Amino acid sequence: MKNIKYYVCPSTVKEALAVLLSKKYKAMALAGGTLVSKTLPDTVETYLDLKNLPIKGIRLQGGNLVIGAGATFDEIDRSKLCRSWAGGCVSRAAEACSSQLVRNMATIGGNIARPHSFNIFPVVLLGLDAKVRLQTKKGAQLVDFQDLYSSGLGLRPGLDSLITEIVIPVKTRKWKCEFIKLAKTASSWESYIKLFFSAEKKGKSVIQARVAVGALSPRPFRAPEAEKALLSGAGAEAAAKAFAAELEAARAGEYRSSAASSLFKRFVNSL
Amino acid sequence: MKTGIIETKKGFFEITVAINGEKKELSVKNDESLLDALRRHGWKGTKKGCDTGDCGSCAVLLNGRPVLGCLAPAVTAHEGEITTIEGLGSVRAPHPLQVAFVEAGAVQCGFCIPGMILSSKHLLDRTPNPTEAEIRKALDGNLCRCTGYVKQVEAVKAAAQKLRGKGKRARA
Repeated sequence: MKNIKYYVCPSTVKEALAVLLSKKYKAMALAGGTLVSKTLPDTVETYLDLKNLPIKGIRLQGGNLVIGAGATFDEIDRSKLCRSWAGGCVSRAAEACSSQLVRNMATIGGNIARPHSFNIFPVVLLGLDAKVRLQTKKGAQLVDFQDLYSSGLGLRPGLDSLITEIVIPVKTRKWKCEFIKLAKTASSWESYIKLFFSAEKKGKSVIQARVAVGALSPRPFRAPEAEKALLSGAGAEAAAKAFAAELEAARAGEYRSSAASSLFKRFVNSL
Repeated sequence: MKTGIIETKKGFFEITVAINGEKKELSVKNDESLLDALRRHGWKGTKKGCDTGDCGSCAVLLNGRPVLGCLAPAVTAHEGEITTIEGLGSVRAPHPLQVAFVEAGAVQCGFCIPGMILSSKHLLDRTPNPTEAEIRKALDGNLCRCTGYVKQVEAVKAAAQKLRGKGKRARA
């Protein structure tokens, strides 16, 4: 932080991107500031404050749930739209983040801009097949959330591009979902494991399933064997066993694997 | 470009900010938190506890919203409005929340109280008749090592009732 020379607070995305891409400024985007302010790389010379950008708000667009990257956790927690979407799991995830003082500041865009084990939203967005709209030097791009952290994308949000909104597809609106943060205390930022389960039934059959896992690594991942077991109607016990095996393979350790598979079993039994 | 740009001079930003309703021009260090800047300029009611965003002692209202002063870079308050505990009330004319905290015996060492009262103020501004769960949620980032949080919750309930006007019952 000692090297900060400029503070820039633009009012349009175009201006913000121009500053990010300018060699003069060596800027880094600052959304809520809860993560960046204490971990700013020495190479950064400019705070690019995003607070005045028109990238806030939560709305329906074409049936999809669109969350502005500048929406705070508190706004997402209190949003009627988020509370009614996918059983309210988006709001519950926001509520599970740290404390009210952090929720007042932290934004969803900031939470997903850089991969980190303890970020809340990545596991939920992965499970909900979300897309992320980015503003880059080539224009706006809509990318699958699961590709956001891939090197193939060639982008570093906050340093050479800006996340402007998150799009959660309409198909997930009625999904039965569960988000669980297993942590020492409810307000702990750190957690042992984060879980996202979802399923959609038609008659007695499960026609879609998502099982996503966070906190074990900076990037969340899906558990395909557990999803397959759920879709095949193998039963709660078999699905939980498949999930536990995947967690063991991911080096989750005995406690996490055992707890997470029990929670998954409970979810399957609730369907 | 309409972009507002401030450049440091010898490691300091010059910012304009309204603190407790009074317009001020402050020099803040390029790496200084809002908490440190406020304390250095004399607003010592804002307390420095953990300095990592965990304890809430440093909470101030920035543009009406409680934020962690230790995490917010001071320069980001430029052209904003800050309310510290000094701006809420005085010894002679305390805010109903301050009165309620004293009357309920919610203050022991007092270190966490400025942040707690500012968090409570924001809660009551947007939820005049909060439930106990809403009060606890609003204060979940304000740690108190002296008490068990019971008296503070009672104080917020009492202040809410006072601010709404007597006679209306609190929600369960």
